[in-house]
Amino acid sequence: MIRSLLTWLDDRTGCRQLLHEALYERVPGGARWRYVWGSTLIFTFSLQMITGIFLWMAYNPSTQTAWESVYFIQEKMFLGNIVRGIHHFAAQAMTVLLAIHLIQVIIDGAYKAPREVNFWLGIILMKIVLALGLTGYLLPWDQKGYYATQVSTKIMGATPVIGPQVQEIAQGGSVYSHHTLSRFFAMHAGILPGLLIAFLALHLYVFRRHGITVHDPDHAPDTTFWPDQVLKDAVACLGVLAVVLLLAIFKGAELSPPADVSEAYAAARPEWYFLFLFRFLKFHWVESLGIPFGAIYVPGALMTVLALMPLTARLKNGHKFNVWFTWIVTAGIVGLTSLAIYEDSNNADHQAAIAEADRDAHRIRELAGRPEMIPVEGAVTLLRQDPFTQGPRLFAKHCASCHRWDGHNGRGQFVKATHPSDKSKTMIALPEATDLASFGSREWMRGIVMDYGNHFGALRNAAWYSNLKDEDLDLDESEMAYASQDYAEVFSNPENEQDLKALIEYLVSLRSWPDDAEQFDSSLVERGQQIMNGAALASGDELNSCTNCHDTIGSEFEFTDEGGGYPDLAEYASSKWLKAFISNPGSEQFYASKNHMPAYGEKMSPEELGLLVRWMIGDYYETHVEPYPSMRDQIPTAAAPTESM
Amino acid sequence: MSDQDCVPDSDSAASPLDVPADVPPTDAAPPSEPPRRNFLVQALAAGLGAVVGIIPASIGGLFFLSPLIRKTGAAGDFIPLGLSVDGLPDDGTPQRVTVRADIVNVWNKSPNQPIGSVWLRKIEGQVIAFNTICPHLGCAVDHRPAEGDFYCPCHTSAFDLDGERINDIPPRGMDSLDVDVRDGQVWVKYEEFRGATSEKVPV
Repeated sequence: MIRSLLTWLDDRTGCRQLLHEALYERVPGGARWRYVWGSTLIFTFSLQMITGIFLWMAYNPSTQTAWESVYFIQEKMFLGNIVRGIHHFAAQAMTVLLAIHLIQVIIDGAYKAPREVNFWLGIILMKIVLALGLTGYLLPWDQKGYYATQVSTKIMGATPVIGPQVQEIAQGGSVYSHHTLSRFFAMHAGILPGLLIAFLALHLYVFRRHGITVHDPDHAPDTTFWPDQVLKDAVACLGVLAVVLLLAIFKGAELSPPADVSEAYAAARPEWYFLFLFRFLKFHWVESLGIPFGAIYVPGALMTVLALMPLTARLKNGHKFNVWFTWIVTAGIVGLTSLAIYEDSNNADHQAAIAEADRDAHRIRELAGRPEMIPVEGAVTLLRQDPFTQGPRLFAKHCASCHRWDGHNGRGQFVKATHPSDKSKTMIALPEATDLASFGSREWMRGIVMDYGNHFGALRNAAWYSNLKDEDLDLDESEMAYASQDYAEVFSNPENEQDLKALIEYLVSLRSWPDDAEQFDSSLVERGQQIMNGAALASGDELNSCTNCHDTIGSEFEFTDEGGGYPDLAEYASSKWLKAFISNPGSEQFYASKNHMPAYGEKMSPEELGLLVRWMIGDYYETHVEPYPSMRDQIPTAAAPTESM
Repeated sequence: MSDQDCVPDSDSAASPLDVPADVPPTDAAPPSEPPRRNFLVQALAAGLGAVVGIIPASIGGLFFLSPLIRKTGAAGDFIPLGLSVDGLPDDGTPQRVTVRADIVNVWNKSPNQPIGSVWLRKIEGQVIAFNTICPHLGCAVDHRPAEGDFYCPCHTSAFDLDGERINDIPPRGMDSLDVDVRDGQVWVKYEEFRGATSEKVPV
């Protein structure tokens, strides 16, 4: 039955002969492992077709949906991370296999007559594969792909004469937009695979016409493609598949934070197989010759030598030259790639940028995974409006020139300054104001009550550097320092231990941060309030009441421009208080003429101020991202700058 | 049948011009049947070939079936209409009310969006609700106070105020919806039904 059906089909299509020709191609000298590379390339391309078409069914090319759809594929869809992982790593496998295939063709002389045309077809195929890699890199619309592709299109734009036009056509406009993704996607999923299939068909046709380039015809008895070579090919493909699958499962395709034009991405690098070019362009002498030289002329010249190989092979020693040329270029590529990787791994700034990108990538998954899901404006707004993400950046930008956060600049880095005597060196800068990581905590309140002079001691550095208002900065001479010395003495009496705890509990309770309600011991708070108002302590001592100077403490915070330079402590350390203080610390309500801190009310937008304050008081969606490790112990404490790094 | 025709010897660079004219290798004459290969090799080759094809294809296929495997969005919960029972006329006059709910669109969620509307009537303190979508072909059914009926302007479907059809154009009566009263507020279990069938089948 089946047999007759096949005969019927064969009579009309000639499929038997076709199959026969496909399977029983002669392999002189026997099946060899060295012949598997072409087949593994076809296999990885099939992998890309399969996974690519399925990804296509879940991908949305626009600036507000590309990252979001990839996030959804990766995190929410069944086996989505595996499908994307296969696509991601098979693309890289394809590049590696392509390089092996090409090198083998050259050293085996398989590019020589009569196979010139097939070599050229192969070169075209290589360019198509690289173009697929380049266009695919942008599609997730994450920071990594966005900034790497910006470099590619800028290089395109640097092409003499037609560059700017070509760039605009590729981008679908003068800047990246929805259309950039539409165009890249059409290239990546339509035009380039179509071209690849067409050229692959030609490549195979011409390959079959000339047959395999036999390395050693006497290696073994002649055989046919099926089944001996097929078995070896299948084993090799299985090996490739295993590697790709393992990488997909255990490493996974990266998805960095959503592309954000307003957020520089210091960790930007091209995909690793373009790193050599990236590193080449970074040489000063290359840079000095202009972008077209390094990015267009040199690679163009190398490609020209490659393309001319079938012709130059006819010259005396031509083949030898070609083999040497191939090895030298390969060594150059491997060397430059290694150099780039080595330099990056030893570049603290780059590593910090990668660490921060990882944090953001982790954070955006937390935010996108909330029940509120992703707003239609896109996931990038989640990060832009997230205090946990933006607070440290704002702190580093506005506050960290004087303050520190647990010893660092808010983003886990030292604050550096140029060395005063040797301008070529940098050193860890001394803080000139208080470390704010503990702001509003019990530790903070205890520091103010018991050891005011040292709590704000970093301010002395400001005086040390600038000699500004020295007399105002003698913290030991300030009224509060005197009061603090009294408090320290009285409270160090063990009888008053509980009362000190109560006072601190009361002071902390003023802040009313989110989730604070259940944190405080209400009987302690009540007792603390009495002490603050001057009630006698357990030891019988009576303290100078806080309200003698800070007469609004305990009441509702109101923004005024009145007061006598004794900071208003109504709702001290609350969001309202912080915003008012940061906006204008020199107001009569706060430090008045004794103030040294700039007013940020005009330097920051209300949105920025809100984000900074919400970060400081921990008012943000819960996170599992680890806080930056404390760097407090690594900061020099001496008044004079100590040299480092 | 000479192998040398299609396989240049490895030193052809030295005498490149001596390359023989292209002779198509094997397709001129059908090659002699290859010697019977070891069955094991054939089975292995076919088996492994199948494995490397089936693995990615089935992973992709399961990914494609993700909507069936990972169901999202449990439909059919009661939704508050933001309207109290007291706010409905006591004489049973139909009131049209927009139903608003959070719309989930794969990864986006848009809070409080209009998702449809219902006709509400209060009869002796009981609230009944009809979907405004006509069971005929999906236009919006109007209320005609003068005629005292529900009427669809598209294809003239007409229903009495209890939702029963009064002509043969619609295949069934208007689609009633479950109503719940919670703290005096009207909640409706908003559903849509397939059009143009006599059965009331949720979509």
